Amino acid sequence: MSGADERRVKDPLDLQAHPGQARAFTAEDEEEASSRGGPTADAQGRGRDDSEKLDQYLLRRYHLHGDRAAREQLITMYLPLVRSLARRYASRGEQFDDLVQVGAIGLIKAIDRFDLSRGVELTTYATPNIVGEIKRYFRDKGWSVRVPRGLQELNIRLNKVIDELVPKLQRSPTINELAEAANATPEQVLEALETSQAYNSVSLQASPNGEGGEEDAGLIDYLGGEEEAYDTMEDRTTLAPGFAKLDKRERYILHLRFFEGLTQSQIAERVGISQMHVSRLIRRSLERLREEIGELDAPPVMRPSGDDPH
Amino acid sequence: MAERIDLEVPATLNALSTVRMVLGGLGARLDFSLDDLEDIYLATGELLRTALDADSLDRLSVEVVLDDDVLRFSAGTFTSAKLRADVIRHAEDCLDLCMLLRRTVDDVRLEDKDGAFRVVLVKRRRGGPA
Repeated sequence: MSGADERRVKDPLDLQAHPGQARAFTAEDEEEASSRGGPTADAQGRGRDDSEKLDQYLLRRYHLHGDRAAREQLITMYLPLVRSLARRYASRGEQFDDLVQVGAIGLIKAIDRFDLSRGVELTTYATPNIVGEIKRYFRDKGWSVRVPRGLQELNIRLNKVIDELVPKLQRSPTINELAEAANATPEQVLEALETSQAYNSVSLQASPNGEGGEEDAGLIDYLGGEEEAYDTMEDRTTLAPGFAKLDKRERYILHLRFFEGLTQSQIAERVGISQMHVSRLIRRSLERLREEIGELDAPPVMRPSGDDPH
Repeated sequence: MAERIDLEVPATLNALSTVRMVLGGLGARLDFSLDDLEDIYLATGELLRTALDADSLDRLSVEVVLDDDVLRFSAGTFTSAKLRADVIRHAEDCLDLCMLLRRTVDDVRLEDKDGAFRVVLVKRRRGGPA
């Protein structure tokens, strides 16, 4: 639709003639919207159809005419949806109000990026944007966990100790063995291992031990020699939509652990990285799968599709 | 002689770290290998994350029993039919919660009581020092 055509479209709610009449959403409206399944319960007592027309009208006002007031009205109208979605994540240790603010950013992005020509409802488009922003917030928070330097150093030392002990013992070491070899107590070892959770979101481009020098090559280089193995990987491992979002080595590691039954130490030896890196990659992959296919309430389940990873 | 530890923690993701530390300490006492401990961490972590998403809980009850070379973990009390199904139902060739649990612990059970249930995971020591 051209701008000229658009200008000929009749204002469905006659708001153009009465700008600024749409009132703000109240707590009662939110309650009503929530009980009726979302923000399509309209703020002006009209039915669902009118509400959708209002959405479309406001979106056109904003996108075609640059009407900032229309944008703000849309944001206000859809805040109950943000609150409703944020509430689902409120049990994960973050303040509800913070989640609403983060979700509102997703809403604003959805409104700003909305494509009028695609013929979808704003609810449909905004929901994954809001949820995505909230999930990103949780993921980014993982980066900000501060680990005391002493534990970081022990963590790095353990990385090396495990690599030395596994071939020497021909098995995975115990906590007591690690403590003895690292000159630490079992409690310190457990605490240091727990800190590796803080690196859950470690970048594949980041150094695996956080140091410079020749070890600053990044995980991606440690994993580079496994291409042939990936290609021989059984297709069944990669049949799922969630898996399709993982890179080859992540799929390969999950395949080895859960379909082939290898232990983390065995995978570390096979892939040529440390057991602690395997542990992080598995956790990270499961987290990504959960995010990718979990949708709003679904479990971390990967259902088959016909995707061919090769 | 079996030793039992009971925990009650807030039903939030933040509390999982506490549960992990307790499991790690107890697993270390049984001389579990690092691989076995990682399996327990993965199994309990995925189970509890799924449970927190599926069930509306304020508090989470965790029980850990050490018996000889066996660690028995139990969490609840849940009412979600979806969680129940996720724990026991496996779709072939899919890495779902059920499969993940089966691949990381030796036994998975549901214990029903008064219309609710607890999930029990059993891990035996293996691969450690003789």
